[in-house]
Amino acid sequence: MTSSPWTRRLLAVIGIFGLVFLTVPILIVIPMSFSSAKALTFPPPGFSLRWYEAFFGDPRWMEAMATSAGVAVVSSLLALVLGGLAAYGLRRGSFAGRDWAEGNFMAPLIVPTIIVAIALYLGLAKIGLLGSLLGLVVAHTILNVPLVMMVMGVAIREFDPRIEQVAWSLGASWRTTVWKVMLPNLAPSVFAAWIFAFIGSFDEVIVTSFIAGKYETVPKKMFNELVLEVNPIITAVATLLIGLTVLALAAITIVLARAGKLKQTLA
Amino acid sequence: MSDIRLEGVTRRYGTVAAADNVDLAVAQGEFVTILGPSGSGKTTLLSLIAGLNRPTAGRIFIGGRDVTEATAQERNIGLVFQSYALFPHMTVLENVLFPLGVRKITGAPARARALEALKLVRLEGLQDRRPSQLSGGQQQRVALARAIVFKPDILLLDEPLGALDRKLREDLQVELKQLQRTLGVTTLLVTHDQEEALSLSDRIMVLNHGKTQQVAAPTEAYLRPANRFVAEFLGIANFVGLDGGRTGVVRPERVRLGPVGVDGGRSARVVEAVYLGQMVRYHLALEGGEGAPIVAAAPFVGKAWQAGEPVAVSWDAADIWPVA
Ligand SMILES: Nc1ncnc2c1ncn2[C@@H]1O[C@H](COP(=O)(O)OP(=O)(O)O)[C@@H](O)[C@H]1O
Ligand SMILES: [Mg+2]
Repeated sequence: MTSSPWTRRLLAVIGIFGLVFLTVPILIVIPMSFSSAKALTFPPPGFSLRWYEAFFGDPRWMEAMATSAGVAVVSSLLALVLGGLAAYGLRRGSFAGRDWAEGNFMAPLIVPTIIVAIALYLGLAKIGLLGSLLGLVVAHTILNVPLVMMVMGVAIREFDPRIEQVAWSLGASWRTTVWKVMLPNLAPSVFAAWIFAFIGSFDEVIVTSFIAGKYETVPKKMFNELVLEVNPIITAVATLLIGLTVLALAAITIVLARAGKLKQTLA
Repeated sequence: MSDIRLEGVTRRYGTVAAADNVDLAVAQGEFVTILGPSGSGKTTLLSLIAGLNRPTAGRIFIGGRDVTEATAQERNIGLVFQSYALFPHMTVLENVLFPLGVRKITGAPARARALEALKLVRLEGLQDRRPSQLSGGQQQRVALARAIVFKPDILLLDEPLGALDRKLREDLQVELKQLQRTLGVTTLLVTHDQEEALSLSDRIMVLNHGKTQQVAAPTEAYLRPANRFVAEFLGIANFVGLDGGRTGVVRPERVRLGPVGVDGGRSARVVEAVYLGQMVRYHLALEGGEGAPIVAAAPFVGKAWQAGEPVAVSWDAADIWPVA
């Protein structure tokens, strides 16, 4: 791409402004979560861990935490298996309607989330899973399959198909080839895909609000609490979520960088 | 060890026939090369035999058994690709042990066989390296050891030396030929390099646009090409007009050069003399300018014709082979 120095300078200014706009609120939340004040004030008058104590001492928050963690673990693993297999089939197969199938899998990432939420609401209601844990797991799985497919699709495309073909010719079954030849080489990408799916589920609020019924997840509860009153516990939860996300992204970066795959996956 | 037989094997992609009604019989222990330009269907044909691809029509037999519907796993074939296709996360030894493990051969006997195979390809002592720690030539030797360690019925090699530089390629050609003779394994090698085809194989199959052009011994294909395409693809061909509007081919080393007006011949001028070490290759323009330039090759014995010199060009009628 060629562009004049002025265009580039303007883009840089907009970019930096956007970044500041996005990160400043996040950075304000962190000191506020350690505030000793009873209400939200900035800057905080003193340091305390009272909001963290309040969070960990509240059984309803702990229950939401358990629900979020459980749903995230199960749905991310399901998304990993299904998305991985779909990516394999789409990258290696040649069959009629392949592009159509790929578009179908990727749709939840492209269609506005609110539309996916309505679709899942209607669909889950029809099969009687609305407001159930299973329904929540199914919904999160569907939402996270495209993330897994994107990461695994890149990894599989980069992997020489002749290596698989040789394994078959040496007598290895399709399953042995996947387990003993492909997965050991794709492990860093599998890990990255799993983390993306886990965070994708743990952070999800829109679809969850529609379909979770009486079940509370952490983001859903945060949202609901904010509607009622501005409770400083929220800042502690937010800080914990930020910490989790940063840790997860750091883990992905380290694993992919060590495997020399960072550029390909993020490109 | 087995023979290979293809009967009317065809593979279509849409309207293109990548393999078009191919018949071929490779005898037990024979070394046959499939030679053709890029895109002529060589890889398609090999992948059909390996079971990585299914023919649109025709049948494939290995050792008399109809394997047309068999999976790649059931065919017991040793396969080597130009890109080596080693398992990157395994050591050299683990790579070679892989086909044995799949066949439930483990422990000391497996290890002994793997080391024996590595010895055959002259890789002793490198068994604990990773593929990324080896040169291209060494990686291809590992691929070869992995392909022969389980005593396959046939060996299929798709441009195995294509990624290597010239000197190494020539060394490996010799080794490959010796290895194939030692093992006596039926071998089908794909290449677009005519020298490789001529030097390695018992017979050559020349392929163009998915169709067989000729199947013959190297000297036969070179001296008595079935058509113009084979004549041109295998070395340099001088086409000369024959009676009745037909065309014949004369190979450069059958073209004689002499001083003008001594023992006849057609007069010509040396356009270029290319010194090739043992040989000198002359590009000659025939007097009168009609027809394509003639190429002659003569051993270099101290004296060569210079560019611009007039020469008399001749050949024996017996050295002309009609191609059309
Ligand atoms: N999977 C495929 N889909 C469509 N066309 C293909 C496919 N594989 C090969 N072809 C076509 O078949 C022809 C032969 O290809 P190939 O067997 O790879 O030739 P070679 O190995 O001699 O270079 C080419 O025209 C190629 O484009
Ligand atoms: Mg090829």
